[in-house]
Amino acid sequence: MTSSSSQKTILKANGISKHYGGIKALDDVDLELRDGEVLAIVGDNGAGKSTLVKAITGAISRTSGTILLDGQAVRIDSPTDAKTAGIETVYQDLALVNELSITKNVFLGREIAKDNIFGRLFGALDFKKMDSEIRALFQKLDIRISDIYRDAEAFSGGQRQAVALSKTVMFGKRIAILDEPTAALGVRESKMAMDLVASLKDHGLSVIMITHNMQHVLNYCDRVMVLRLGRLAAVRDVKDVDGDTLVGLITGANESKVA
Amino acid sequence: MSDSPDNSSTTISTPTANSGSFDSLKHQFQQIWQVLAALVLIYLVFFVLSPPFRNLDTLLSIFGQASILAILACGTTVVLISGGLDLSVGSIFAVVGVVVGIALAEYEIPVFLAVIIGLAVGTLLGAVNGIVQVLTGVPAFIVTLGGLTAYKGVAEILASGRDLSRFPDSFQMLGSGYFMPMTIMFGVALLTGLFLTKTRLGNHAFAIGGNEEVARLSGVKVAKSRIYYYMIGGLMAATAAILEVSKLNFAMPARGQSYELFAIAAVVIGGTSLFGGRGGVGKTLIGMLIMQTIIVGLAYLGVSTSVQRITIGGIIILAVYWDVWRRRSR
Repeated sequence: MTSSSSQKTILKANGISKHYGGIKALDDVDLELRDGEVLAIVGDNGAGKSTLVKAITGAISRTSGTILLDGQAVRIDSPTDAKTAGIETVYQDLALVNELSITKNVFLGREIAKDNIFGRLFGALDFKKMDSEIRALFQKLDIRISDIYRDAEAFSGGQRQAVALSKTVMFGKRIAILDEPTAALGVRESKMAMDLVASLKDHGLSVIMITHNMQHVLNYCDRVMVLRLGRLAAVRDVKDVDGDTLVGLITGANESKVA
Repeated sequence: MSDSPDNSSTTISTPTANSGSFDSLKHQFQQIWQVLAALVLIYLVFFVLSPPFRNLDTLLSIFGQASILAILACGTTVVLISGGLDLSVGSIFAVVGVVVGIALAEYEIPVFLAVIIGLAVGTLLGAVNGIVQVLTGVPAFIVTLGGLTAYKGVAEILASGRDLSRFPDSFQMLGSGYFMPMTIMFGVALLTGLFLTKTRLGNHAFAIGGNEEVARLSGVKVAKSRIYYYMIGGLMAATAAILEVSKLNFAMPARGQSYELFAIAAVVIGGTSLFGGRGGVGKTLIGMLIMQTIIVGLAYLGVSTSVQRITIGGIIILAVYWDVWRRRSR
């Protein structure tokens, strides 16, 4: 869990704003993600965390702001653009379709077609290949789900989150963005989900993670950015902060003391 | 992630080469056996109650009556799975019938060409349903309700002052008797089933119907796919219309009335969710057979058409209630 300023920046978002009419849900926020780090985004409800992530990944349109990948400006106007750029996102509550099997969920939008005339003409899918890729992936990540033909809704919250996170390893070439990966999980399931998040690094991914859990920030993240009322309140190295400092930054208590 | 009490799904198993296809077959059967059992049970009830019901001709006529509507219902199945709704297919049916009638009776063009024109018109009208929805954001219910009346009007304008009957023998062959319509029904059902389960676009229907937002965020082209599903609905309506025009040997704009409702009823009775994301054509075929068995069976018992309608109405509500109840218990 080291972070040094010598690490190169992989993703940079400059001046991201999202206005709904007169309401500034997000106002001129900068974000910088360094190669190989886990960056936490924290903030109170309505601070703009999810909005920021959605604006960066093209899930919602930005009012303003630019995105640079490896120093190069990239156009990300849709979720597909983000995926093409190597950014894989796990949205809170919007990760899996309940009605689809595990295989179909993981490959949704990126199904492998058969390498024959049926595949090319009709989009006939190669389920055998997709199944075997998933089994290999789950083995690599130590995810113990064997019945990949069952509908996603049949699985526990922890298992569903594991499946959602596995998508980032399967397809995320560079960056995984996670919106509260442990929301609605029990203590044990949270621990397993976070261990999986920590292992994403080993698979070459840099991670941005929204969380409400200060313990997760301190234990699993390298840097933390704090949003308050749609604005960037602070960016810190995790080794320089403790839980109380973070809570102070989130609520703005520290500032009011100064003022 | 194995702390769920449901250990059967979490333990590591060593999959064999065949377990995949066997498992998915098993899953499909588990989904379908209840409606199949209901069909057999309903058939047996009439079998016991009515002696004249007990012969092969009755069974064949059930299939025969089911076939044309079942083809239409295959398209409805696709649309409902994708979370859409198409109330206009009965009117598309009418337009296609009239167009094919004009092509054959007035312009005397070759049969295969008339069939292709009919299929194209149906697909096009389906596309209009989809495109209007995608562009305006007006709900499917309203757009296709508009289509229901508008297309009916188109059919009436096209047919007015024309005698659309007495078609070539080669055309009449398509829909007459039991064999051809049933063969085409099974063919259409098989193709639709393959489309839904084996292709990318078919799988996206379940994804969009299950959770449109997740599908969109996963990179599925939701709007474009939706248009395709309505085109399939229109294509199936056209296929059914061509068979009926052939069977009756005349075309008129009044045909197809309420067919969309029969189709939706069959789809829902079969167990495809009215709320999208679940279902299949196998279920729809069984649903259509259940409906026709009840209609024919009640007729054999001397029950009036009006009471038959009331019965079917009750069964539709019951079928949707079952779906709602299952969703709640999940």
